[in-house]
Amino acid sequence: MLPVYNYLFLSFALLLIGVVGVLTRRNIVVKLFSIELILTAVAINLMAFARMFADAAGQTFTLFLIAVMAAEILVALAIVAAVFRRWKTPPSPAELPIQRPDERVVPAQ
Amino acid sequence: MLAHTLNALRTYMHGNGAALLPEMELLLFAVGILVMDRWVERDEKYWSPSLALAGTIFSALTLWMLQARIHNTGDFTAYQESIVVDSYFLFFAALSLAGTMMVILLSINDPAMRDVSAGRFYALLLLACMGAMLMISAAGLLVIFLSLEISAAGAYFLTATPRFRKRSAPAALKFMFASALGSALLAYGFSLLYGLSASTNIGQIATTLNRRQNLAAAIALSRQPGPHAAQMYELIQRRMPEALHWHPFILQVLPIAALSFFLAGMVLKLAATRFRPAPEKTSWIIAPPAALFLSGGFAAATIAVLVRLLLTTFGDFQPIWSYMFAVIAVAMIALGICATLPGVRRIWPSLAHLPEANLERVLAWSTVSQIGYMLLGLVAANQASFTAMGYYLLTYLFILTGAFAVLVGLHCSGDSARELCDLRGLRRRSPAAALLLTIFLLSLAGFPPAAGFFGRHFLFHELVETGHRYLAWFLAISSLPLAYAYVRVAVLIWRSDAHAEYQPLAFSTPQSIVLGICVFVSLAAGLYSEPFLRVARYAFGQ
Repeated sequence: MLPVYNYLFLSFALLLIGVVGVLTRRNIVVKLFSIELILTAVAINLMAFARMFADAAGQTFTLFLIAVMAAEILVALAIVAAVFRRWKTPPSPAELPIQRPDERVVPAQ
Repeated sequence: MLAHTLNALRTYMHGNGAALLPEMELLLFAVGILVMDRWVERDEKYWSPSLALAGTIFSALTLWMLQARIHNTGDFTAYQESIVVDSYFLFFAALSLAGTMMVILLSINDPAMRDVSAGRFYALLLLACMGAMLMISAAGLLVIFLSLEISAAGAYFLTATPRFRKRSAPAALKFMFASALGSALLAYGFSLLYGLSASTNIGQIATTLNRRQNLAAAIALSRQPGPHAAQMYELIQRRMPEALHWHPFILQVLPIAALSFFLAGMVLKLAATRFRPAPEKTSWIIAPPAALFLSGGFAAATIAVLVRLLLTTFGDFQPIWSYMFAVIAVAMIALGICATLPGVRRIWPSLAHLPEANLERVLAWSTVSQIGYMLLGLVAANQASFTAMGYYLLTYLFILTGAFAVLVGLHCSGDSARELCDLRGLRRRSPAAALLLTIFLLSLAGFPPAAGFFGRHFLFHELVETGHRYLAWFLAISSLPLAYAYVRVAVLIWRSDAHAEYQPLAFSTPQSIVLGICVFVSLAAGLYSEPFLRVARYAFGQ
């Protein structure tokens, strides 16, 4: 196994990419991806530590984490779909409140 | 066969099952409501709120039984020490349950809930409350993370409650992103904690973290040449093998990083309840009951987890997190005040997109300030200040619920109360409602006879005692602009136009019950605070 610091650097890089993605990107789907990236970073950390300690707790945590990631993306997509049905476009949360839904002009594709 | 199963069940209920019984009852009733909802007729929908109420009452009774058990035999743990039942759990779980119970009572007559899928709202509410209670009693990182997610997923859907689905979906989306980012950062902090200690139990992690100074020195010694080094290496390998993997410097830095990630995640989660887009002028963004649950029971549970982890796992880092909380609390108080005051919005451009304040907005944004005041208790960080925090949280939950109850009453009578000027003439529509809302607002503003004043008074006292004089003065002085934001609303209620026609306003029985409880607590806790303080002291084990 590589020294654990390698895994730490990798996961920290993923974390940074994820946080920057959530904070700066405007597309909702990309934002969702970024949150999943952070959770992936967590999973990498946990697996590296579990391997280092030869301990099962980290692996269990990772399995649960994957399940939570899947559940969370489902919830998020359900809400995105509800928004999409109304606004006909994947909007960014920052843009949403400005226009009232009734007045929104759907742009021609 | 049956006897055997029953016997196994009985053994389970006396062992691990007892610790989870309050949560399991909520889960059972939530599933029951979902199943029932499929079969009942549209005009029989009162079944779902009654069942939900029954579930919370059962759960509260079980908490009472657990209290008796703790009194007799002391705190106990279950499921390999990942669930703790102690007085701290009982206090905060009771708060969350009380908050949920009042939300159910308030939403019975809410027009938003007269919907085909109203049963789902109550089921989700119970599930979110279950997650909240579970995270208060959790003592393992995995359980904390999972229950946070259970509770948050329920809350995401609650913000997008049925009738409002189309209008409230953006609100739910915004809330979800802030909250999901918070839990992702939290999970990162948890993974670092696991890496430091090879354990997911918060107590065992604390032991490792407490020894990190000595460990770092020992590891540094073991890496030098010489016979002592070999001995030291063997010693560490025997006593704490997981520490050997780390460079001494990392052993010093990583806990601080874990603490920072944990705090960032928790504060984001606390503030997420406020991250809603500006409400459109025409309708509510979130149904008021759902908003109330988020700033009441849900926030209480989040604060409970935050404080439990700080006190156990990060107990050794108290000077560091006290400084952090001084900054966080001041920032939250300032943000809340800036968002509620009308004048500041014009000066500060980034707040300009907020629409003209309505009562719900004032209540929602000032919650940020109020949570900031509560967090000041973590700066002082002694037993008395934690008691003051518990007292503040307890009274605030009831005062906020009371104010929201008036709001729901207005909402039910077909009146929007979207803008502050709609509150004009409330005195003539219903003198009782005007009087009660004034009491709640003045209590929130912190006027002496009401409970809101004493919460802040106790915190002020503790801050001065522990030598944080500047923070204490900040607390006192920042109360003034916040009080102005509340009093401004309270004054509006008592104004009316001489010639205008006002529809009379009536409250339904469940709403009146909630109003009665809330006004009792907000006045009684101020006039005779001793029993309430005793409850808060009990929570922190005194």
